[in-house]
Amino acid sequence: MGKLLVVFKREYLERVRSKWFLVGTLLGPVFFALITVVPMLIAAKTKATSDVADVVILDATGIGMGRRVAEGLHARFPDAATPAVRNVDPASVPREEDRATLEVRNKEHRGYLVLDSATVAGRAARYAGRNASSLGDVEIITSVVRQQVLAQRLQADGLDPARVNALTSTRLDLQTSKIGDNGREKGSGISNVIFGYVVALLLYMMIVLYGQTILRGVMEEKTTRVAEVVVSSVSTDTLLAGKIVGVGLVAVTQVAAWVLLSAALVLYGLPIITKGMTPDMMVAGSAKAAQGSGAAAALANAMPSISLGTGLALLAFFILGFIFYSSLFAAIGAMVNSQEDVQQASMPVMLLLISSVIFMTPIMTNPGSGLARTMSLLPFSAPILMPLRMTLIPVPWYEVLGSILGVVIACLAAIWLSARIYRVGLLMYGKRPTFGELARWVKYSN
Amino acid sequence: MPNDLAIDIRNVQKRYAEHVAVRDLSLQVPRGTVYGLLGPNGAGKTTTIRMILNIIVPDSGTISLFGQPHLTEGATDRIGYLPEERGLYKKMQVRRVLKFLAELKGVDGKVAEQRIEEWLERFGLKTPEKDWGLAKIDELSRGMQQKVQFIGTLLHEPDLVILDEPFSGLDPINAQALKDTVVDLKARGKTVIFSTHLMDNAERICDSVCIIARGEKVLDGVVSEVKAAAGDRVVALSTGGNSRAALMPILTDRTLVRRADDQNRFYEIELATGADPQELLRRVVATGAPVQRFELVQPSLHQIFLERVGATGIEEGMQGHG
Repeated sequence: MGKLLVVFKREYLERVRSKWFLVGTLLGPVFFALITVVPMLIAAKTKATSDVADVVILDATGIGMGRRVAEGLHARFPDAATPAVRNVDPASVPREEDRATLEVRNKEHRGYLVLDSATVAGRAARYAGRNASSLGDVEIITSVVRQQVLAQRLQADGLDPARVNALTSTRLDLQTSKIGDNGREKGSGISNVIFGYVVALLLYMMIVLYGQTILRGVMEEKTTRVAEVVVSSVSTDTLLAGKIVGVGLVAVTQVAAWVLLSAALVLYGLPIITKGMTPDMMVAGSAKAAQGSGAAAALANAMPSISLGTGLALLAFFILGFIFYSSLFAAIGAMVNSQEDVQQASMPVMLLLISSVIFMTPIMTNPGSGLARTMSLLPFSAPILMPLRMTLIPVPWYEVLGSILGVVIACLAAIWLSARIYRVGLLMYGKRPTFGELARWVKYSN
Repeated sequence: MPNDLAIDIRNVQKRYAEHVAVRDLSLQVPRGTVYGLLGPNGAGKTTTIRMILNIIVPDSGTISLFGQPHLTEGATDRIGYLPEERGLYKKMQVRRVLKFLAELKGVDGKVAEQRIEEWLERFGLKTPEKDWGLAKIDELSRGMQQKVQFIGTLLHEPDLVILDEPFSGLDPINAQALKDTVVDLKARGKTVIFSTHLMDNAERICDSVCIIARGEKVLDGVVSEVKAAAGDRVVALSTGGNSRAALMPILTDRTLVRRADDQNRFYEIELATGADPQELLRRVVATGAPVQRFELVQPSLHQIFLERVGATGIEEGMQGHG
């Protein structure tokens, strides 16, 4: 126990004292703020500006659909000029499109919209523009065109144009909230998605960063030959344990510092940011409730609803996932002799980790699917994907427990294997072992 | 009398998949002696040392330290170990590295700090102008790093010091400091074991030696006894001038000379069985070579080593004496 503490102390203090730890800890929240606030600001900005309305409408319908859509867009963006409408003959559409393309290329407009008989029939319209890949912009254009097609039909059916306008003018904002086992939870469903995403990404990041820290630490001890002195005083098992616990706590320290700093940043920084926003922009951003009651309320509403049980499960998954992957990384560190070997040797473990991240998006879109279920039960992806699922939908307790149990077993196996490879590899210089040699290391590990 | 032994190794065996590293090795190291573990590279010296330190576990056999099984809790804390492959944490401050190494051996932090100051001063790493204890390891010169490593070996005041190839890579000044320290350790009643393939060093410093080759003990014992047992069938011959060519026919005469170690102006000659040293002297004088020294001597450890281990036991990288 005494020696474990000595090893742990060195691993922890040497890392926490380093300049890079300080830099990472201080810059982390700034980085997080940038990746959350900046897209929010950008999203708010692009929506609020009249870029969407800056289009040319090529109307080949012959029934004035173009003018309707132009007015519809103008109604959405009163600040912007009404889009130009060109009535064109269906036969000359290709030529007109070429001309419009040229104009867009010359930055006279953002894009052009083609309306033809297919549009009147309610089947298709075409849009080409610089912002064609912006989902938000496309969504607005689609809804305006759809609305106007509907209005045109109602009018054609004999309804009074003024009535038509009143009836079709909607601007629906869907508010979501999550329903869990305990009924409706406060907080929006969206904030849970964001939270789940952030947690899963953070778990992945910390495991990769600090797993590789362990790998480098082991490799340093091996290549500098300091391992030989150290293992003459302490068993390799103790050394490995001290290392994993020490580096693990460095990771925990960093996350804790990040959370505290981020909270401070949100409490004191958010009011400054939101002051620059109009209520309309706030709607666009995630902090909906900030309209009236200020940043604190916005924060409260933006907070995801996480029960104590879920929180504990998250912690358990982080600890177990870290132990699982860091013991594997330690074994790799003991196998390699140079930086060049590291990439290749750590590939299998990195693939396991990356495979968890690849499945994040499909699981977020459908957290109840068979894929999501399987991936959150497999020990190597469970530490990242089960927490993600748990923040999105209620997961039955037995699945969570089974998943944890699986990871525990995987951890024991990884520790058993790694301790043996570590014990032999640490003092084995020369070329990287083949699989056959590795198997022998495990067999003859004493 | 187990208590008189610092180390008692009985019938130890260590086998790897490809080969046997140590085969049925038994050796006893009395307390308070300087003990040399001699052998060519790959003979099993480092494996033996690692087994003593419980870094690797023997397949069979027992090892005792100061009369206790070496697996006893804290038993290896009484050993100071300087491995052949040296190195320290590059980015760590000298004082912190040393304190870490001492604490690993169970020394209290405060005590360690105090001793570190004494050692740094003794080795000239802390002077009024410059305190290298505050520097990081990789800011130190190689010689200084070796000093730090050596301090780390002795900081916990071990009763048994094991030095694996301590002279390899040492400059003459550090080598001298190391010899002085070994002598000083012995004077203070500590036991020192060192492995080397440099026989001249061993012959001067060691009280007792053990020669191992291919994992097996070839011979062991007190140096003077080992040499006496090898007999006085050895002639030390020194000649002046350029007489080498004239001497060659004599040295290659197998009825007279069994083996000659030609060191250019000095020859260590082992007589053939039944050969008369006077006959050798007569023939050397007859060549007209100016004889500066002709003496019947005990063979050097180097000679004994060559004879007992043989050329086949010496792998590449073995550099004779130095």
